[in-house]
Amino acid sequence: MLAASATTLPLFAALSACAGPDPLAGPPPLSADVRSLLRAVTAEQNLIWIYKRTMASYSALAPSLGVLLAEHQAHVAHLRARIVEPPGKSVPDTVTSKPAVPGTPATALAQLRAAEQSASTAQLRRLAGASPSLAQLYASIAASEATHVTALTALGSQNPG
Amino acid sequence: MHENQGQGPQALAALQAALAAEHAAVYGYGIAGALLTGDNRAKALADWQSHQEARDTLEAMIIKLGATPVAASPAYELPFTVSGAGSARRLAAALEDGVTQAYLGVVAVTDTTLRTFGALAMQPPANRAAAWRGSTAAFPGMPSGTIPA
Repeated sequence: MLAASATTLPLFAALSACAGPDPLAGPPPLSADVRSLLRAVTAEQNLIWIYKRTMASYSALAPSLGVLLAEHQAHVAHLRARIVEPPGKSVPDTVTSKPAVPGTPATALAQLRAAEQSASTAQLRRLAGASPSLAQLYASIAASEATHVTALTALGSQNPG
Repeated sequence: MHENQGQGPQALAALQAALAAEHAAVYGYGIAGALLTGDNRAKALADWQSHQEARDTLEAMIIKLGATPVAASPAYELPFTVSGAGSARRLAAALEDGVTQAYLGVVAVTDTTLRTFGALAMQPPANRAAAWRGSTAAFPGMPSGTIPA
């Protein structure tokens, strides 16, 4: 049991006088890094959704696309690992963009390529203001997505019709 | 007054490290290219020229910051024995990994322009590494699949 002493009472009084966080005021606003991470997670979820739908529509592409999909799933895992989730709450698993799968493998691959390029560019916009290690994570994911653009271009040349 | 005021020694050190990696790549491609033939040799030659251009760009940036660019070493220790086409392709991939990792170091600086430069500069070597290796990577530039804490 903690007994009040000559040192604890003045300390308690001093702490009570501080303008600390108000527990009734609701959760504190999200930091810029967390808001940026949440947007990055959503962007990756959108890409994963397109990959899964494309693979379901064109099973012959699934082996090649599955490799790239797995890398996006790794991106999401590492991005989510940077966000401390409060008890009882988790990072939303939201997909905000669900484009239709185009009617041919070639156009479906072109859609994926455009989505990868757009995602890579968006990662670069997140660099400003990010902590150094988070900036490196965004840059690495942007580079991974740039290699996906190249891989999808090669795959598209093998599936011209 | 030097133009590097506001960017600091961290930025200069990161650029010098990237330059050192480009020097190593220029040297390494000289070895790899000599062991390759046909399309692979042409590809190695194109990649070698890309690294020379990147080296020149970095040297100009470092001089503009008022510093002396790090010089190339007369020779470099190869990461493994390179004796044929297979190991030459693996060397090319390893060289590209080293350059990608060095540019990722530039991304850690606080200056946003340099950060963006580093992030963009790591994309061509990441692509070349994937081409030599025949597979992409989830986290180019991160050592052995790890990510910063």
